[in-house]
Amino acid sequence: MGTRLGAGKPKALIDINGKPLIAHTLELLKDVDDVRIVVGYQAEKVIDAVNQYRNDVIFVYNHNYQQNGTGASVSLAKKYSKKFFLTIDGDILIHPNDMKKILKSEEEFIGVCEPSTDDPVLVDIDKNGLVTGFSRKHGKYEWTGVTMLESNKVSSTDGHVFHLIEPLLPLKYKLIREKEIDTPNDYKNAIIWVTNGYK
Amino acid sequence: MKTIFLFDLDSTVTKEEILPTIANKVGKGAEMRELTEKTMMGDLPFQESFRSRVATLSDSSVKNVSDMISEIETSPAIVDFLKNHENSYIVTSNLDVWIEKLMKKIGMENRYFCSKATVKNDKIVDIEHILSKDSVRDKFSNRAKIVAVGDGSNDFDMLRKADIGISYGGVRKIAPSLIDISDYSVYNDNKLCELLNNIEKEEAQSE
Repeated sequence: MGTRLGAGKPKALIDINGKPLIAHTLELLKDVDDVRIVVGYQAEKVIDAVNQYRNDVIFVYNHNYQQNGTGASVSLAKKYSKKFFLTIDGDILIHPNDMKKILKSEEEFIGVCEPSTDDPVLVDIDKNGLVTGFSRKHGKYEWTGVTMLESNKVSSTDGHVFHLIEPLLPLKYKLIREKEIDTPNDYKNAIIWVTNGYK
Repeated sequence: MKTIFLFDLDSTVTKEEILPTIANKVGKGAEMRELTEKTMMGDLPFQESFRSRVATLSDSSVKNVSDMISEIETSPAIVDFLKNHENSYIVTSNLDVWIEKLMKKIGMENRYFCSKATVKNDKIVDIEHILSKDSVRDKFSNRAKIVAVGDGSNDFDMLRKADIGISYGGVRKIAPSLIDISDYSVYNDNKLCELLNNIEKEEAQSE
């Protein structure tokens, strides 16, 4: 909902260089056939914005978005889909080249990045290079909110996405460059990042 | 688990709004538009609105209206889905005497629920029974999974009662009242049918 941002609109719709945040992601997904977007807060506004870019998105409603977490949204979205699903949080911008890499993946992975936000969810990596756990206190990398999992291995939850992932660990990771937008400062940095060609 | 699919007819299976299209053809377009607007604004309850809209066309030959309705453009993807799924049905408040021909044309002659009219000398004299869409769910086993697809405010109860409610915006804007009770919204008929096929597949695997 973007409460810390104070934007008064869903984070997916904040303007980044003339386009809503979600449009940036949609453009990188233009060759993906099966795209679902979970909506709740100001659902109709998000739907109208997305329909400007493509009309074949399936909108999945999470009507309890005020009470439950992103894991609940993912649980709803992954129903009736293919063998694997890729989930991307709605408030992040991914480096275009890294998105290309992600979309080529044929196996499960946890998307991670260099720690940079104020209150990150970190991931522990073991000596085999696999993600073994999530923590707010320790971990080499930050979890990005981007993850690819096998649909029928994933159950459901009312909590966070990493609650869905935890039972499936250890898993491989992919290092990606992204910007998460939680605070007015994040917003400023994201705009600069995009304007400078994602450098 | 067996899945049953219930489809609204107007602006879901058909690509045009039936009554306004016919009204325009018989010179009653303005009258029909006014009634439709009043209904959308909530000034006219559904049953009254429906009776008024039928009355607008009651001067017309039933056979003519039926012929015109049978020529209405339909979604190829959705008609194809209906043809290939014996477990799918059309649920419409439209009149039997008007839509019979269209139902036959798309291979649905035994798989639709609708309102009933009395006809005399090729004119409608009475509406015997207006279908209440949510009652259709009860005609199927409790054990079946019901998937309902619609777009208008009179699909509210049908979608709400269904196990999976899908609001479809491929023809008209989805009625705002459906948003709060939808599980999915889809704006493309091919995508809709893909989703329905996936639902059927996955539900068949689970008990």
